[in-house]
Amino acid sequence: MAAEAGGDPRAWLAVDETASAFISRSLSSRPPITLPPPLHRAPLRPGNVVEIAGPSNSGKSHLLLMAAVQCILPKEWEGIYFGGLGKSVMYLDLDCRFDVLRLAQILRNRIAEGQGSTHLRNGDLEKDDTEDEFQSSFENALFSDCMQRFFYVRCYNSSEFTAALKTVQSRSRSEVLGVGIYFVMIDSIGAFYWIDRASHPTRDHKGKSLQSVTETVVHEIRMFLQLQPALVLVTKAPIYAEGSTTTNDFNRDSSKYLLEDSTVSRCSRQEEGRTLSYRDYMPSIWQSFVTHRINLQVEEAEVPSVQENEVLSTYTSEWVQPSLKTKEKFFIVDVRSCYSYFV
Amino acid sequence: MMNHDQPSAKDRCGKIWSGMQLLKDTTESKHFLPTGLEGIDTLLGGGLRQGQLTEVTGPSSSGKTQVCLHSASLVAAKHMGVVMYLDTSNSFSPSRVATIIDGSSDVFGQRGFDLQPKDMRLKSVMRSIICESVFDIFALFEVLHQLEGSLLNDKVNNGGSKICLLIIDSISSLLAPIIGGKYPQGRSMMISVAMILKKLADEHNLSVLVTNHTVSAGNGAVKPALGESWRAVPHVRLVLSRECGSNICTATVLKHTLKVFPL
Repeated sequence: MAAEAGGDPRAWLAVDETASAFISRSLSSRPPITLPPPLHRAPLRPGNVVEIAGPSNSGKSHLLLMAAVQCILPKEWEGIYFGGLGKSVMYLDLDCRFDVLRLAQILRNRIAEGQGSTHLRNGDLEKDDTEDEFQSSFENALFSDCMQRFFYVRCYNSSEFTAALKTVQSRSRSEVLGVGIYFVMIDSIGAFYWIDRASHPTRDHKGKSLQSVTETVVHEIRMFLQLQPALVLVTKAPIYAEGSTTTNDFNRDSSKYLLEDSTVSRCSRQEEGRTLSYRDYMPSIWQSFVTHRINLQVEEAEVPSVQENEVLSTYTSEWVQPSLKTKEKFFIVDVRSCYSYFV
Repeated sequence: MMNHDQPSAKDRCGKIWSGMQLLKDTTESKHFLPTGLEGIDTLLGGGLRQGQLTEVTGPSSSGKTQVCLHSASLVAAKHMGVVMYLDTSNSFSPSRVATIIDGSSDVFGQRGFDLQPKDMRLKSVMRSIICESVFDIFALFEVLHQLEGSLLNDKVNNGGSKICLLIIDSISSLLAPIIGGKYPQGRSMMISVAMILKKLADEHNLSVLVTNHTVSAGNGAVKPALGESWRAVPHVRLVLSRECGSNICTATVLKHTLKVFPL
């Protein structure tokens, strides 16, 4: 290097860039993404892989839908500010529990909120029928535009999942999808855990083990991210030990042994749920692939809302990677939005 | 942009759908099948939604089988389609179906239906209910694979009526014995059943209704059986309870795809 640069050991640096130039280029090519609470705390960028972990009913899928709406909504539409990203989402449904009506509900509410704030700013509280018609056509046009940027694939097993990832990869820049995919969502990564764990490939039977399936999945996502930087959001439900939540479980003593992949731990029933929720059952290749982790829990207590006769579901979120050392409570108000505050 | 033609059942799996395609498919093909029990239909937002798996759970004698029989009777009587009733514990009772039909002719509201003789009415309904006894997980797999094959080949029953409701009463009596550690692949089989049911529901626009029993959760409380792995499976979970010596059933929605519920 130094010899090629005519003897000056610093000359070769001239063709590269300064640290500040590198930072400004990185920030412009992969800017931080604004996401709804509680995902807003960690600075997320395209290329990051975020794992949203938590038990059933802890709001994981809801957070995905909120983030999806944030992505597909435009920043501005016909002069009205919506604060979205105006980009495409690819949603890989492994749980087969996705409901498009819920996505539509959240999106319509966000559109109405955006318009509502405009009306309040302009002081337009009185509207006539013509205005209502215009508003309706405006909403429908925007709604349709947003929904065209949402893409969905349903998978019933790991081979379909890996095939779907290959399809997404090969078509990510084609005209079929129009706009490049900015968010890739996987709900939920452990859906086929028990099936894959139980399959033992032999010479005769062309099965795939959990390890090899995970390796393929990681490889395909990596390939996709090289092709097109995107934010990957993945939900993960806890997997309970074989026999630890069966019908006989609940008559036993308050402490017991839990076996999971040759790991033996002794814990009280109170600690059990928390321990199992946070125990990582995914192979190490997946664990090292994930760049950010947030854990969600459901709070026992219910909080009365501002509106009469409405009770909010209360959840806690905790960033464990990077560790933010704080827990945050958030509410999901029906299907509209999340409100959060620090504990 | 993407073509808005909806893929058929044979090729929709693994296909990339746009949000608008999904919405169109849902609004046009995924209707509600009423259970005929007004309170439950209201709770469920219209009834048992096609394309979804609804679980009714509750202790013994809480009314789970009654919900199944009522749903089967109503769908059959209103000629909405064929009902496949997988009976795991000999709970299916034609006499109970007859009682439901006799007592609910106003609900069924089929023109000329209540003018028919009782036996004709019952025959008409029973012709649209295919009842199969299934006593273990392997028999369930066999029946579900046969059903999938016949649906894929567009085989229809009863003069063109397709199966629109699949009932398994109860799923827990088939799954509970295999997930207690005796079978190392128990949970794998449980999730496989779940995936087959969801696939049938989505690709063939079936409503899938399953029942589950409850187990003690400590402190005198009860919770649905089959544990955490199953908890994530149903789209909708409905809990039934009945006070001792009372005929009044209480239904509570634990989970619904369109609503967020406090625990």
